[in-house]
Amino acid sequence: MNKLVVCLFVILLLAFICIPLYWVFKTSISPETEVWDKGLPRNPTLKNFIDILSPAPPRGRMAEVVGTYAVITSSALTPLFNSFRVALTTVILTLIVSPLTAYNLARFEYKGKKFVSILILFAYIFPGFILMVPIMYMVASLKLLDNLIILSFVQLAYTTPFSVYMLRGYFMGIPKELEEAALVDGCTRFKVLRKIVLPLALPGLVTVAVFSFTMSWGDVLFPLVLLRTANNYTLPLYMSFYLWGGEITDPGPFSALIIFSAMIPVVLFMAIQRFVRMGLVAGAVKA
Amino acid sequence: MRVKKDSIIKWLYAAPGIAAISVFLIIPLLLIFWLSLHYMPTGLPPKFTGISNFIEVFTMPELYVSIQRTLVYAFTAVLLKALIGLGVALLLNLNFFGRGLVRGLALIPYAIPPFLCALIFWFVYDHRGVLNAILGIFGLGPVYPLRYETAMFSVIMVNVWHGWPFFFLGLLAGLQAIPIELYESASVDGASTFVKFKSITLPLLKPVFAIVCGLSLMWTMGDFVIPWMLTGGGPIDATLTVPIATYKIAFLTRLNIPLAAAYSATILPLYLTIIYYIIKQMEVK
Repeated sequence: MNKLVVCLFVILLLAFICIPLYWVFKTSISPETEVWDKGLPRNPTLKNFIDILSPAPPRGRMAEVVGTYAVITSSALTPLFNSFRVALTTVILTLIVSPLTAYNLARFEYKGKKFVSILILFAYIFPGFILMVPIMYMVASLKLLDNLIILSFVQLAYTTPFSVYMLRGYFMGIPKELEEAALVDGCTRFKVLRKIVLPLALPGLVTVAVFSFTMSWGDVLFPLVLLRTANNYTLPLYMSFYLWGGEITDPGPFSALIIFSAMIPVVLFMAIQRFVRMGLVAGAVKA
Repeated sequence: MRVKKDSIIKWLYAAPGIAAISVFLIIPLLLIFWLSLHYMPTGLPPKFTGISNFIEVFTMPELYVSIQRTLVYAFTAVLLKALIGLGVALLLNLNFFGRGLVRGLALIPYAIPPFLCALIFWFVYDHRGVLNAILGIFGLGPVYPLRYETAMFSVIMVNVWHGWPFFFLGLLAGLQAIPIELYESASVDGASTFVKFKSITLPLLKPVFAIVCGLSLMWTMGDFVIPWMLTGGGPIDATLTVPIATYKIAFLTRLNIPLAAAYSATILPLYLTIIYYIIKQMEVK
């Protein structure tokens, strides 16, 4: 009896998670005439995936609808590449900026430490949308709109506080004695951090990289206010063209693009699953 | 002298993070107040106007609508996420075959960025989509979830679908931290499952629960992406939450950046108050 109830709830849970995903997946492997058919795909095809990953501009209804506005002519490769470039730059910047500050919070005692740690915590909780107007104004005044590198820098507003917070937890889990021995032997602090702490905190660095990548990959707000020309658009902006007029214009390629761009963060998350849970406990939830 | 040098080095370690946060958070925050006191005609330098932007903000119907919509959006979504998250955490804390796999699958909605979740739900809510296909099996329907009356709930459900694993992860960690001996000794005393849940599980879960709820409440109140990608704040103003309203005032309907700054400055105390309580809660721990 008890087993039956558990089983029922697990099935309900799996249905809740999987049905929306299955539907999009099913659409992505259906030929154009069957995109809205229910149930299993009858003639599965990879044409939609080949379409979105080919350098030719989109065909089909999307091109008709969008063509009248002359907004976009590029294939999905351009926004995919842009998103990838921005996310990778953000990851690199985050990995440069956050370990030092995290190490400071994990190891040093000094006047003002409480201020620093509350500042980081505040930045971590603070919702980014409030910053969209002033950041857009700042970037526009510096005449740096429509610049993918600047976009990566701005995304540090999301990724730094989170990464510092998470890495601090990892660093605190490393035994102090290891570092003290090296310090006694005449190593400098920085060398200790580089040679002992960072290699030991590698899972933490990987987790931070994956989270930063995903945050940047999924960011809509800053690309929306900072990017201007279609050639610089990242995925979210490009994909909203498929919804022109409040309706899905080209379900096949659209769903293929959704599946493709969801796969990347999902695979990364699955690869580091164990660390995600540990990280959430060590860095994010348990302060 | 040596002590002084030591403390400078410590601050140098803190510097990169503080610099990033200052440039991309603190300076923009201050800029909001500066902008809100100015008037900016296109192509001309900004002119000081005092509090006239704030007077306009308080006469805008958007202000009151957006605050109401945001509170409905955030509180409903957080409540649903908390219930599902707690339920699933309890469920997946039991021992059964395939538990590891289900735990892994439960992460998927959280791993998919919110904008993609919203796009996935375009297929759910479409009149030829998932929801109507399921209703069709029972001979119901077709429904149009994104019309005025139901748009808010439809958007909330996307937020719930994406966000509940955050509660699940936090609460599962909390459950696993409860020493098993407590349950054993309660069993010896003859406590029922319900009594054990009420007097051991819930009280010990409470601190984690409060923090997870607080964080999720703040981020849901700040959620721009899901309503934007699903309804853009519409139809009319059905899903016009504060983040959407900020964007619309600045870049779409009024194209008035100082006014949007004044609007942000007006709603800022609401957000800061909640952040204050969350920080206090997290510091206590």
